[in-house]
Amino acid sequence: MKLHSMKLVTIVCEALARTSVTGLLKEIGAHGYTLFSVEGVGAQGSRVADIEEFANIQIEVVLPPESALKLMSRLEQEFFARFAMIAYSSDIDVIRSAKF
Amino acid sequence: MSDLLQAIQANLLSPAVLFFLLGAFATLSKSDLKFPEPLYLGLTIYLLTAIGFKGGVAISNAGLAAVWLPALAAIVLGTLIPLWSYPVLRFLGRLSPVDSAAIAAHYGSVSAVTFIAATNFLKSLDVPYEEFASAFLAVMESPAIIVGVVLGKLANKKAGESFVPTLKVAVHEACLGRSVILLVGAMLIGFLSGKRGYEATAGFFVAPFQGVLALFLLEMGMVAARRFGDLRKVGPFLVAFGITMPILHGALGVALGQFVGLSLGGATLMGLLAASASYIAAPAAVRLSLPDANPTLYLTSALAITFPFNITIGLPMYYEFAKWLFGGSP
Repeated sequence: MKLHSMKLVTIVCEALARTSVTGLLKEIGAHGYTLFSVEGVGAQGSRVADIEEFANIQIEVVLPPESALKLMSRLEQEFFARFAMIAYSSDIDVIRSAKF
Repeated sequence: MSDLLQAIQANLLSPAVLFFLLGAFATLSKSDLKFPEPLYLGLTIYLLTAIGFKGGVAISNAGLAAVWLPALAAIVLGTLIPLWSYPVLRFLGRLSPVDSAAIAAHYGSVSAVTFIAATNFLKSLDVPYEEFASAFLAVMESPAIIVGVVLGKLANKKAGESFVPTLKVAVHEACLGRSVILLVGAMLIGFLSGKRGYEATAGFFVAPFQGVLALFLLEMGMVAARRFGDLRKVGPFLVAFGITMPILHGALGVALGQFVGLSLGGATLMGLLAASASYIAAPAAVRLSLPDANPTLYLTSALAITFPFNITIGLPMYYEFAKWLFGGSP
């Protein structure tokens, strides 16, 4: 079995940024993503996630390295100043590279 | 004056307000009480649907001829409020253009729960009001959000940048966001199905209503109290703004309500709608279309200042003002 190197980009952000972030993923050319509700504490205080205005989501997307880089730099330029958000990427291996 | 104190006292002892205080106490005392988000959403969906449906039935009973003029007045009021709130925030409060526009949008838009609390208050005093008043609630939700977003975009316009795409987002969110869809959609269904529809669904939409409202206000007490810490961050100007503007808008709304021929109860509701600030529809729309505005400012002023003020002291004030304007007792 051959494994292919890919990047997993994880974005944790306020729930109200959802539409903007998923729109960006589409622009970058991501084929899909996984999204779930999370709670936690960060620089902008505690997000206890009981109402949407104070809820957090986590979005995970698998991308080829060059798209991941493009995504991270767009996030830095257009999103970090405006939304409560962190993003990080990690190296992963996938079996079916064509899926991403 | 003693009338006002009595009205305030009666209002403070209503289950809605007491549950709100319980929620605030739970948060301030660091209790582990917490509602999960799906429950909050469920309660919102129930309240908006029930209030819309009942309003629609009332419109079909009263006939559109009775509704259109006050509804038009409500739209005009909702559109104009951001236009004078903006300069107050910008020049008196020295807030940034985009923050001023965002807050102006919240104060022009309306709060459904404050409205429901007001109808309860009137019922408890046996003051009749136009049952179709929730139509004003429905039509006042969107215009102010759109006006506020346009103000924010104009003030922040970068050379050569078109704000049409953002405006599209704002209009979509303001006119087709979840609260407007539920409220207007349920109202239309109530209007079409009329009295028979009402009888068929009253067991669900009417009987449990007060209990659901009490639970919702318990949650709102917790949410509002969590923002109390942010009051220091927003500064004295916004605290003063969050109390003074509702009083001015409330008086204006009551007067306008009387002018378009509403009853004492109806004019009180119009005043309360003018005074209330949105915290469901507006934050979602503004966060999407004016992401540079600081959410701490508009959420704290709408949730932690204006909402508690309106449901405790504001409401009896607008009622007493309406009584005075209508000349003595109803």
